[in-house]
Amino acid sequence: MKNKRWFPVFYMFVATAFFSAVIIGFAQMTEERVRANQAQAFEAAVLKVLPGLYDPNAGSVELHRRFVEQVQQPGDDSAGAYILKEGGQITAYALPFTGQGFWAPVDGVVGIKADKKTVTNIVIYQQRETPGLGAEVAQRKFCDQFIDLTMTTGDKPIVFRRPSEPLGPGQVHAVTGATQTSIRLEKIIANALKKWREQISAAQK
Amino acid sequence: MKTQMTQLAREGLWTNNPIFIQVLGICSTLAVTNLVLNTTVMCVALVFTLSLSSATVSILRNFTPHNIRMMVETLIIAFYVIIVDVILKAYWPQMSDSLGPYVGLIITNCIVMGRCEAYGITNPPGVAFLDGLFNALGYTFILLIVATFREILGMGTFLGFPVPYFSSGYWDKWIMMVMPPGAFFMLAIVTWVFRSVAISKQEKEK
Repeated sequence: MKNKRWFPVFYMFVATAFFSAVIIGFAQMTEERVRANQAQAFEAAVLKVLPGLYDPNAGSVELHRRFVEQVQQPGDDSAGAYILKEGGQITAYALPFTGQGFWAPVDGVVGIKADKKTVTNIVIYQQRETPGLGAEVAQRKFCDQFIDLTMTTGDKPIVFRRPSEPLGPGQVHAVTGATQTSIRLEKIIANALKKWREQISAAQK
Repeated sequence: MKTQMTQLAREGLWTNNPIFIQVLGICSTLAVTNLVLNTTVMCVALVFTLSLSSATVSILRNFTPHNIRMMVETLIIAFYVIIVDVILKAYWPQMSDSLGPYVGLIITNCIVMGRCEAYGITNPPGVAFLDGLFNALGYTFILLIVATFREILGMGTFLGFPVPYFSSGYWDKWIMMVMPPGAFFMLAIVTWVFRSVAISKQEKEK
């Protein structure tokens, strides 16, 4: 049988089917856990961009409790953003954004103050960009630039400039050597913020 | 069996070390060695993948048609690597994030394919497993040496803990060491030192 011409094809087919089946079974077994981890990463990101909620020393159970108790789910008047309220007054929004990066989707959350103009913080909790280059967008060094940044009213609420150029209002420095990731991330953030701004002003009229 | 095992251990760890003699798997050596913890996890993943794929390739060696053997080997290697990836994603998501695509890239690590082709495909499963294991350990100890130097000189820490002197103000951290060029320098130095030692040892034995 081994000398038959169809044997290699048949063999490869059987081997692939066997190994794939084992992996599918294994992935299904751990699926719930993976999803829980992703949910946890998302909740932590929302807490980080909302002022005064995140504590790096708090355990995952405590963080989940804070998320459930203190953060309000997106409603019709928040245009898809999570809401933080204090004494009945909205103090900040947390807007999730997602889009295609250079290699894979980039997921993050941007926090916005109640004035809908000032960014509180930004967290990128999932990305698969090139380590050391594009992946730097998830590092604090890059994200800290967004803290207390005022968005501009133009087409791009936040503009990325080349690392050598001076910064104006509503501008941050892109990551050196990661042009593709920077261009895409700038677009993802700009689109999310612009859409949100339009929707929320329409919803609150 | 015992002499064969010592022989395999000697070859994998020293006389035929995958990094400084065979010069295989350099890509990951350069990529993940700026933190000792990341390196350790990467090495554990490689020990697992290499020994088991070598053994599996060996189990199937009498059935696998010769002309498609490399496809089958890649399939087997990918199988074990995906298992490692899924385990990390489920039980250690932070590590999965910080290793990023490098776990998946073990599939293309030349050591794994190299050992399957050079040894696994022609030898029985037991010894193929040991050959994979010792080669992976040979890779591991070199990577740990590189990573230790890079992390201490570049960040002043070891496994994340501050090292006296290197984490103090007296030591001007060599940022270069945690950047990609640092890996090239360290790897070159380590290869030079170990090859010199190996060669002088061989000459003495003659």
